[in-house]
Amino acid sequence: MHLISLVAQLVSDAERLQHQYEFLSYGLTAAWVILVIYVLMLVARERKLKREIASLRAMLEEKKG
Amino acid sequence: MREKILYVLGIAALAILAWNINTIARLPEETQQGVTFKIIFFHVPMWAVAITAACAALLASVGFLVTKNFRFDAAAVAVTEVGLAFTTVGLVTGSIWGREIWGIWWTWDARLTSALVCWLLYAGYLMLRKAIEEPTQRATFAAVFSIFAFLDVPIVVFSIKWWRTQHPQPVFWAGGSFPPDWTMHLMWNMAAMLLLGVVMVAVRWRQEEAQREIDSLRRMAHAL
Repeated sequence: MHLISLVAQLVSDAERLQHQYEFLSYGLTAAWVILVIYVLMLVARERKLKREIASLRAMLEEKKG
Repeated sequence: MREKILYVLGIAALAILAWNINTIARLPEETQQGVTFKIIFFHVPMWAVAITAACAALLASVGFLVTKNFRFDAAAVAVTEVGLAFTTVGLVTGSIWGREIWGIWWTWDARLTSALVCWLLYAGYLMLRKAIEEPTQRATFAAVFSIFAFLDVPIVVFSIKWWRTQHPQPVFWAGGSFPPDWTMHLMWNMAAMLLLGVVMVAVRWRQEEAQREIDSLRRMAHAL
């Protein structure tokens, strides 16, 4: 009887721990996903700006020439 | 050179975070909340960066209104946008933590509501900038709006002291207890996030200046 209650306690502890780790991983994943998305947006904007500057400079050179 | 410094700082921030996450994973469970409590090591640093960004945005906006120097305006946009990203993470991690501990994703208490209002105000700031074409007018209106938006920041910070809230009282400045080695890990995470925030702001600031260069090149192209 004592063994059964001990096993039940262990199972319940394991379930609680698994549930808590689940929420911890949700929190950490959400944090990193949002920051990575923002960094990707920054990278995309950087590329767009560089392309735009290069094409405008080329256009100005052409007009001056 | 500047780009290399940014890369080095970014890598340093990520290295500190990787080392610290590894150490945090080995910390024992908190007695009441178990391992879920470890969200604090991300939730609090994210908010610390967000609040620092809001203070920097206020200073940059005042700087622009006083000097009319567009570098201040570019700085204000950069810190506001990065701060908004960190505020988003703070709200989301807080909501996930609340779901596990309180059993609800959201509640309209003073801390959570003022934090959401803060997010909406700074998102509104960025939308306002997109709505105004003329650069001087855009920078002036945005600076005034940013100063107005900052009024919410002290409410976010002190709401848990001023009102009874679902959100717990502050751990560090209301007599709460936090083991010294845990405090050290929290501080390391805060330093790493702050460094990451600084790198993001520097990149965004440079982009804003590149945008100004594009505007002037366009004017030149029209004039020719």
